[in-house]
Amino acid sequence: MKAMSRILYLTALGLGLAGCVTSGPESAATDVEPVAARGSHYAAQLSKAVPAPDGGLQAVRVAGKGALLDPFAKEWDGVKPVTVAMQPQVVATPNQPNPAVTELSVRSLHNGHWLGVLLEWKDGSKSDRLVVDRFGDQVAVELPVIYRADSAPNPMMGAPGERVNIIQWRAAFQADLERKRELSIKDNYPNAASDLYPDQVLKTLDLRSYMGAAGVDNPVAKHRESPVLDQVAEGFGTLTTKPHQEADGRGVWKNGVWRVVITTPMSADGANAPRLIPGDHTVVAFAVWEGAAQEVGARKSWSDWVPLKLAR
Amino acid sequence: MPKVYNWQIGRDMEYLYDEARPKKQFAMVMDTNKCIACQTCTVACKTTWTSSRGQEYMFWNNVETKPYGFYPLGWDVNILDKLGVQDIDGPVYKGKTIFEAAPAGDRMLGYLPDDLDYAHPNLSEDDSVGSMTQGAFMQVPHMQWMHYLPRICNHCTYPACVGACPRQSAYKRPEDGIVLIDQMRCRGYRECVRGCPYKKPFFNSITRVSEKCVGCYPAVEEGRQTQCTITCIGKIRLQGFITTPQQANEDNPLDYIIHFAKVARPLYPQLGLEPNVYYIPPIHVPPAYLKQLFGADVASAIAAYRKAADDKKLLGALLLFGATADIIHRFKVTDQFAIGYNEKGDELVRVPFREPIFLRPAFDEAYQSVRSNIT
Repeated sequence: MKAMSRILYLTALGLGLAGCVTSGPESAATDVEPVAARGSHYAAQLSKAVPAPDGGLQAVRVAGKGALLDPFAKEWDGVKPVTVAMQPQVVATPNQPNPAVTELSVRSLHNGHWLGVLLEWKDGSKSDRLVVDRFGDQVAVELPVIYRADSAPNPMMGAPGERVNIIQWRAAFQADLERKRELSIKDNYPNAASDLYPDQVLKTLDLRSYMGAAGVDNPVAKHRESPVLDQVAEGFGTLTTKPHQEADGRGVWKNGVWRVVITTPMSADGANAPRLIPGDHTVVAFAVWEGAAQEVGARKSWSDWVPLKLAR
Repeated sequence: MPKVYNWQIGRDMEYLYDEARPKKQFAMVMDTNKCIACQTCTVACKTTWTSSRGQEYMFWNNVETKPYGFYPLGWDVNILDKLGVQDIDGPVYKGKTIFEAAPAGDRMLGYLPDDLDYAHPNLSEDDSVGSMTQGAFMQVPHMQWMHYLPRICNHCTYPACVGACPRQSAYKRPEDGIVLIDQMRCRGYRECVRGCPYKKPFFNSITRVSEKCVGCYPAVEEGRQTQCTITCIGKIRLQGFITTPQQANEDNPLDYIIHFAKVARPLYPQLGLEPNVYYIPPIHVPPAYLKQLFGADVASAIAAYRKAADDKKLLGALLLFGATADIIHRFKVTDQFAIGYNEKGDELVRVPFREPIFLRPAFDEAYQSVRSNIT
């Protein structure tokens, strides 16, 4: 299986990374600095290579100890954004060979307790209403649970034994939080009419079997306290929500740009959390979905690992 | 992709996973000639399964008028159009299945319906093909035609939803072949909605995951037929289990109807899913249209159905439709009765070929009144 994922990854590099080497179109944020393109480097040293953490992302140290939840906090102004090239996911099916988002502007901060990653990208349409033919905007940050400089996990959602932590922010969850009440059918269809629902006549215990995914506490179905899903994966199709949701985030869509912060505690919770220590190096990767282009699941654009240095 | 054998198209075909037939395969036969589109099945399913928030628009069971009725709008003509003209003549299908016609980057040929496609579940109800011109008179058979098509999930042997899901949230149960979507595992990517050509997985906009017909599995586990079957007032349905033609048992009523009498056909077998809901085709509908719907053998199925009176065993099997709420695994025909048995071999029901007639006198001496109904 491991060999297989390597082969798949090699294919991905061959197919997808060529575009990564050239400078991308103008970023959503101004004054951005492209991350050095490392596709060919990675391909050349496939099994052992994680490139030296130069030219990557610096998590700048700031004061405080709480979650870094404000995408407009003044601390971000002091961090120089870098551009990360996004490429189509074409290794697994199904896929979308021409994804809408081709680059992200990324900044990072930490306060010794929480790591924050600020992601910005151009999106002319805010997509946060989910009905059968409408998909939501989403972005994800991926961190290896175990990172060794000589061997990083497969950046494409890890591999068996190479667990990664994937923290995904969803615009639809953000809308849920801002609504401050349970989603109703009238939010999706303002003119909908309905009569009696089981939850108006049954007690909670009897009700569960009528509630579908919400009745089994599917994390995407229940009313959320955070717009992000804190998850682990060991390869395609293995994404699993962590029993204890620790990461958090917040996203704001303004003037055709999403500005999303994803934050995660730096204290590791064993097998499912990345090791994040001030002064250390690790890697980080990204994925983004444009809802208006019906991007969802494997239909996405993703980045290779980007070196991440956590300031002392 | 692995090669699997699909007996309905008479050949091997590509599928996402290896052939793994369940121990038993859930199946249903519906006699379209007896359906009156009363939607009792639809309402039975709705009240049983889809009464919650986000399920308002869902009909896991629906009945549409063919050829112009659809739920969702245009579901079958859309996928047929995308698949293009295919050679459906002959016992071996020479065209492409939706798996073999998969575009680059996709696992199968499919499409995602528009939200509004679900807004008119009864559009074209009772509409006929063609119109009556001024001065025309009705002939028998009628020159205009339509028919009803009751639909549930086909619990396919090679389900597109199972093949489409990148998370393996949709799965086929090894014990009875029922296809389900794991409500804990699904994340609402809608690949199943896109992939299923019958459009029987539905997206729930409140729970944000997909749902589908569950084959009334809690009932089936208890040896009971589905809600849509047992509530059917026209007794058009029989639900049980089917085997492959090679293992067919003529004492199993579904096997007899499908494999021996060959009066029931699957819906759009050319798509390659080996669907397990079988239809006795409407006998008055033009054969060219029926061939597209039910495959090349449709004419012989109709011919066999027209001669049902000569095949007592077939007649007996047809009598068992709607005769009991329990699943009939075996049946037997005697001079007077069609007898159905459960899995253990216990008798479930005994249906007379000819119902006894009781004649009452037109004038009731006791009540000194005249009866209008004397039988």
